[in-house]
Amino acid sequence: MDQNVILKMTGITKTFPGVKALDGVNFELKAGTVHALMGENGAGKSTLMKCLFGIYAKDCGQILLDGKEINFKSSKEALENGVAMVHQELNQALKRSVMDNIWLGRYPKIGGIMVDEKKMYNDTKAVFDELGIDVDPHRIMSTMSVSQRQMVEIAKAVSYNSKIIVFDEPTSSLTEQEVEHLFEIINMLRDRGVGIIYISHKMAEIKRISDYITVMRDGKWIATDHADNLEMSDIIRLMVGRELTNQFPPKTNVVGDVVLEVQNVTGMYNQLQDVSFNARKGEILGLAGLESSGRTETLESIFGIRTRKSGTIALDGKPCFNRSAHESIKNGFALLTEERRATGIFGVLDIKNNTVISSLKRHLRFGICLSEKSQREDTQYYIDAMRTKTPSQETKIRSLSGGNQQKVIIGRWLLTDPEVLLLDEPTRGIDVGAKYEIYQLIIDLANKGKTVIVVSSEMPELLGICDRIVVMSGGRVAGEVDGQNTTQEEIMTLAAKYV
Amino acid sequence: MEDLDRTNSPEEEEVQEETPKEEQIPKFRGLYRYVNITVKQLDMIIAACILVIIVVVAINLLDPGFTISFNSMGGTDVAPIEHMYGDLIDEPEPPTREGYSFTGWYRDNACYVLWDMETDTVETDTTLYAGWEKIE
Amino acid sequence: MTNPIANIQRSVADFKQMDKADKKRYITDLVLNNALYILLFVFVIYTWIQKPNFVSLGSFANLVIQVAAYLPMALGIAGCIVLTGTDLSAGRISGLTAAVAGVFLQKTDFVNKMFENLPEVNGWWIAVTLLAVVAIGAVIGLVNGFFVAKFSLHPFIVTLSTQLITYGIILWFFALNGNNGQPISGLSDEYKTFVNGEMFRLGNVAVPRYVLYAIFLIAIMWFIWNKTTFGKNMFAVGSNAEAAKVSGVNVFWTTVLVHTLAGAAYGYTGFIEGARSGSVAANSGLNTECDAIAACVIGGVSFVGGTGKISGIILGVVILRLIFVALTMLGVDSSSLYIIKGAIILCACALDMRKYLVKK
Repeated sequence: MDQNVILKMTGITKTFPGVKALDGVNFELKAGTVHALMGENGAGKSTLMKCLFGIYAKDCGQILLDGKEINFKSSKEALENGVAMVHQELNQALKRSVMDNIWLGRYPKIGGIMVDEKKMYNDTKAVFDELGIDVDPHRIMSTMSVSQRQMVEIAKAVSYNSKIIVFDEPTSSLTEQEVEHLFEIINMLRDRGVGIIYISHKMAEIKRISDYITVMRDGKWIATDHADNLEMSDIIRLMVGRELTNQFPPKTNVVGDVVLEVQNVTGMYNQLQDVSFNARKGEILGLAGLESSGRTETLESIFGIRTRKSGTIALDGKPCFNRSAHESIKNGFALLTEERRATGIFGVLDIKNNTVISSLKRHLRFGICLSEKSQREDTQYYIDAMRTKTPSQETKIRSLSGGNQQKVIIGRWLLTDPEVLLLDEPTRGIDVGAKYEIYQLIIDLANKGKTVIVVSSEMPELLGICDRIVVMSGGRVAGEVDGQNTTQEEIMTLAAKYV
Repeated sequence: MEDLDRTNSPEEEEVQEETPKEEQIPKFRGLYRYVNITVKQLDMIIAACILVIIVVVAINLLDPGFTISFNSMGGTDVAPIEHMYGDLIDEPEPPTREGYSFTGWYRDNACYVLWDMETDTVETDTTLYAGWEKIE
Repeated sequence: MTNPIANIQRSVADFKQMDKADKKRYITDLVLNNALYILLFVFVIYTWIQKPNFVSLGSFANLVIQVAAYLPMALGIAGCIVLTGTDLSAGRISGLTAAVAGVFLQKTDFVNKMFENLPEVNGWWIAVTLLAVVAIGAVIGLVNGFFVAKFSLHPFIVTLSTQLITYGIILWFFALNGNNGQPISGLSDEYKTFVNGEMFRLGNVAVPRYVLYAIFLIAIMWFIWNKTTFGKNMFAVGSNAEAAKVSGVNVFWTTVLVHTLAGAAYGYTGFIEGARSGSVAANSGLNTECDAIAACVIGGVSFVGGTGKISGIILGVVILRLIFVALTMLGVDSSSLYIIKGAIILCACALDMRKYLVKK
């Protein structure tokens, strides 16, 4: 039994300033099995893997590979020792060909100088045939789909004769068919005796593919068991450490009169066409649709950071031109952007500055001097109100977790005292517990008579909190459904209307 | 159950650890955007820079001092001399020029700011310019 | 949290717990991260041994004076660095404004006076000149800022071209009225007193008035950086321009204003520099931006953008000046100083990057 354990990690501990990211974690991987690693965001899954690959230096603990203690300095060294990782964000030379990417850094040579293109081609072909991948080794990476590029990454791992392959959220950008193919390959690798660590949030996948499941929480090892012995609800209970009965807080908001009217908005440089809808006071309006159906563009056009060709926006019957973010804020709009890291947070600035940046006017004294005291008060108010977990106001925002960053940004917008909140994917990249808090926050805002427009790709989320849902398709409004009496099927049908 | 499953599968979720580190944000921003370097290489660069500084200083310490050159502005040549920081200049033999009388050494070639041999001290490599007055 | 003694105690306690390899790594890290400080320390000690009068009130006064002279440009350029940019035109702008100030404030009875019909130099005229040169600097800065903000051109490109254009203007200026490129001298005593006039003596060294002005400037810049909407916006834009735009910050005006303010600071630098050196040549101000940039980087105004403090800039200027004062006293000539400057800039940038890279 014990001899086919190929990877054994014992007592791994890793401390970041102020946080114990890993606390004596044990993990065992047997050859020829798929071992799922589960946990909420921040549970320590990625940190554990980074310790294995030497991206972080572990504080203490022991890693045994085939019974020998190892301590990799870099992922390259790990790869050479048969430990490979297929990242969720692929890290490849996009301008180079498939085989270049596979053999990068270890090209087969003729006479020590010339690269042996032919051998490279044949070897690549052999690996591809073995895995059932149908890709021309000469193709340039950037011309291929994400799934194909992922296959190349797997082929690379196989070409190193890897004994262990780590999959980090491999299916996050794959279609169902591609997922099937990936699972076939994973099964094949398992049959060849490769140990596979599979990190994913998707329960259904985990149940299907894995032999063992390890659950982590708050940097600690919680449980390891046969996949057959764990029900989905058990896993969730283990992950969150509590029974998660209600995902959505009770809806208590009362919908009032129409306040926001968006009419015939057509985009200048995007596909938006004649988008019209209205929103009421105290209402939570959902915007549903497929990826690139124009949801984000609609919000950004309303907020004025995308140019409109035509169309009007009226708040309380008064037309709003909203030509820039500055003007929109003045008119009582607020936009929480989709890409938190790219357009939301100021990574190197502290929480205080991140909170007050949109509402500096409130803190002006004598028309020029910013009051430190009132800035601190406002920041503290929203840290407390939203239960943001942070050591201090001076903490840099990038050292917070996704959910807490989101709370800080929502606080930033609430300080501008908006009438209309445009929330673009407010719960993306946030773990289950924090999601609930964000939902509660949205409902509280509606209770206070604000109009909230939520864009989300997660249908249950929209169904759970929205009063009404406007479905978009191909840049147009495809229809409108009642949030409480609709089904996912109805929304999906509308979403496919103009595709 | 179906719903539970879905909410636990955020589609494009980024893995956010409790303490997101460099991997989460682009490695460098600003002017360092295109820099791709390891700590070891950086250490080498730092060490090399320090070494260069020390070597340059050491070379200079073998032969310390500043050169004071004299531009006689058409008069007879005056040889440059070496001095340390803070020294007064030993006044050289004044140059001569036919039809002119020597008025002193100046800091600028417009001969406006006079170098006072009694109080002005050497601060760096310096060139002094001879001032001439036409004899009527 | 910020109690330094407690911090040190905690570090010491942490250090005692480490094993041998970790201790070694910790020490290496410590040495490398503080390489410049250690180097400075060694130079200062060595200079002290060689020249005992190095550590004296007079030397201190000298250092303060030098810092006061080099600080304004660093304060200006720091804003550009906070915006993840830089400014290569700083030195030339200060050269141009020094020349303008010099010409405006030449002695009335000076033989080689470039413009004959200027009014007599008095307090009023000095104030006008100061405003004029600051305005000239600000206008060139505005041009820089406009091109950077409007067309998203990299500041390197924009400021490199303004650097050359400004130099061309300087050369033109020096050729005006048959001046033929001669340095501008014969500066009026009122001007020199206004800038260089002795306030008090410190250990035999006269402390000039511009030290006082520098203190004013620090106060103003500190206020702008920390207490105004513009300052907050500047850090927001430097940290994440996209997010700043969404948050309602006017990125365009912030960028333009940062460069304009920087230009004004160079203008002021030129005004001081003119009187300090006693005469202005076409080449004055050359390469001084390198000192300013180096000081900023040493002082923690990182090229990563969005970070930096006024106190850091002051510290950076002090460190750089201290190194140079020590080296000058040891008799290191100015050509070698350029090599050392280059090495220091590279070293400071490497240290800056190291801070962001070192794994925790």
